[in-house]
Formats: sequence, structure tokens, C-alpha cells
Amino acid sequence: MKKLTTIATVLTFIGVSFSATTIAGGQVKDVKDWNTGEGEQSVAMKLAPNRENGIEVYEVCSACHLLEGWGMDNGTFPQLAGQHKNVLIKQLADIRALNRDNPTMYPFALPESIGDEQAIADVTDYIAKLPMNPNNGKGEGNNLALGQKLYKDNCVQCHMENGEGDQEKFYPKIQGQHYAYMLRQFEWIRDGKRRNANPDMVKQIAGFNDDDMKAVIDFVSRIPVPKSDVAPVGWINPDYD
Amino acid sequence: MNITKQVVLASAVTLLSSIATTAMADGEALYKAKTCWSCHGKDAKTPIIPIYPILAGQNKDYALNQMKDIKSGARNNGQTAAMQGVMGLVNDAEMAEIAEWLSTLK
Repeated sequence: MKKLTTIATVLTFIGVSFSATTIAGGQVKDVKDWNTGEGEQSVAMKLAPNRENGIEVYEVCSACHLLEGWGMDNGTFPQLAGQHKNVLIKQLADIRALNRDNPTMYPFALPESIGDEQAIADVTDYIAKLPMNPNNGKGEGNNLALGQKLYKDNCVQCHMENGEGDQEKFYPKIQGQHYAYMLRQFEWIRDGKRRNANPDMVKQIAGFNDDDMKAVIDFVSRIPVPKSDVAPVGWINPDYD
Repeated sequence: MNITKQVVLASAVTLLSSIATTAMADGEALYKAKTCWSCHGKDAKTPIIPIYPILAGQNKDYALNQMKDIKSGARNNGQTAAMQGVMGLVNDAEMAEIAEWLSTLK
């Protein structure tokens, strides 16, 4: 928490950036522009992580994502625990570079709050190794057959059979993620609000109506996470006292 | 005032003050559980960035109205985009308890 208190001066330009980002450009249009790896992303990916600093940096993140990295089952904050490190690096770098709008998280993600590319490498490595939430938020469970069919027809190619995603391709792990969080992101991706979305996904889901969307996300929220990746119920992160 | 009335009155006062104490304790707990403190600071006066407001000692009606308006979208200027996304975590009664507690801080 030291770092939080030492953030003395992040200037009012942040206010300007907030309004600017809501007006700024739309989604990435061409898939070749989706993951250029420019800027902090490629730098952070090459750095050897320091676990102790990862723990210190993560304390800032834990103000919302909680010390276990499990987020909230109502979806306000996503689970981060167990996410692919490359995905975490890309999303954090995108938020810092204002390629993904996240006004709630933005001040916490700034170099003044958590540090430079080394901090990104440290914290993402730490988060990726945290055991996952045994009780993620689920949907209503009333349209799962449709959800399963939609998943097989539209999602498996990238997010894989069980929502594992792909570390090397920067495709997020979606198994074990909270229903309400995924629903919100899916809608933003479909409707053009999530600016760093993969253009192939935007095209793939363009024909989904709201019921399709709920059905497929509900199905995903119920995909079992491998036992070896899940924490026991009630697990408390021992790295913090 | 007879004895019965005095007892009733005393009980009522005790009950009311315990309700008030509970509300304040709940307000403090809610302030953390609903992640208000993440941005506004554990003491409600050390926000993560200087342009976020200090809340300690704020008038409770003003604080409550801002929370309600930011939640509903009636207020959407300034830094409200940062807060609107978390307002699904609180209902009217919880907002009132948080506002009440904030107003008691020095």
C-alpha cells in the first residue's frame, strides 16, 4: 500500500483523457492491428519476473480484484487469478495506453501507481499463478443447450474446447470467469465499445441477439475448471497478512 | 411523566441510538466492502488521485444525492465514469448508510 500513498501528483490531465477516450476512435478494424505488441507489451514480455515485487504491486490491484484475485461473482470486477500471463500483459498495457477504456481502473494502472514495464512483468506473473475461484458467478441456467451449440459453432476455435484460451495467441481463458463480467464484455465487443477487441471475434458474434449472448455466456460460466487450477473453498491468500 | 412512560421513552432512546450505531458501523463496513475506499482512501480523505473528492465530513444528503445521481446516470460529468461502473454494488439503503457514516468523519 506504500505506493498508493506515495502517488503524490497525478495531474488533472487524467480528467481530460477520460473524456477524450470516450470520444476517441472505435474498435480495431483489421486483425493485423489487433496485437502489434508495441510499447510496453513487448518490453514486459521479455523481462524476468520478480515475485516479491509482484506481491507488492498486486496489493494495489487487490483493492478491487481482492487479495485472492477472484473478483466479484456479481461481475463488477473480473477474476484475474489463473489468467494467461500474456493476456494480462496485453490488457494492462492496452489500458495504460488508452487502447481499452477502463476509467475505473485507469488511475490504478498508471506507472505512478504500480510502476514501469518491470512491474507489469512482476504482477502479471504473480496473478497468473494464483489459484482460481471455486465459486465463480453463473447465469440463470435456463438455456444451456442453445449456449452449448453456440459455443461449439462460434467460440471453440479460439477459446478452445473448455474455455482454456491460448497463452501464445493472447486469447483469454474464459473458463471460471464470472457470468456478469463476461456478459458485459461480450456485449461491448459486439456493440463496438470494447476498442481493443479482436476484429475476428467482432465479426463472429455480430449476429448474436441478447438471448444468444446470455445463453452462450451462461454455458461458458459453467465449464468446469481443472481441479489443479482451483483453490479450496474459503482459501485465503497467505502472501498478505 | 409516569414510570411506564419513562421506561418506554428510555427504551425507545436506547433502541434508536443502537440503530444509529449499527447504521454507522454498517456504513464503515460497506465503505470497504463496496470498494469505495479503493479510490477515495481508507480514511475517506486520501483519494488515489487528487482530482477525486475527499469524502470525510461531507454532508450526508449531498453525498447520498451524488451517489444516487451517479448510479442513475443523472450525473455523468467529470470523473463519474470511473464510479458508475461500481454502483451496481450498492442499493439505496446502503448508500444512505455510507453517506451517514461519511458525514460523521472529521
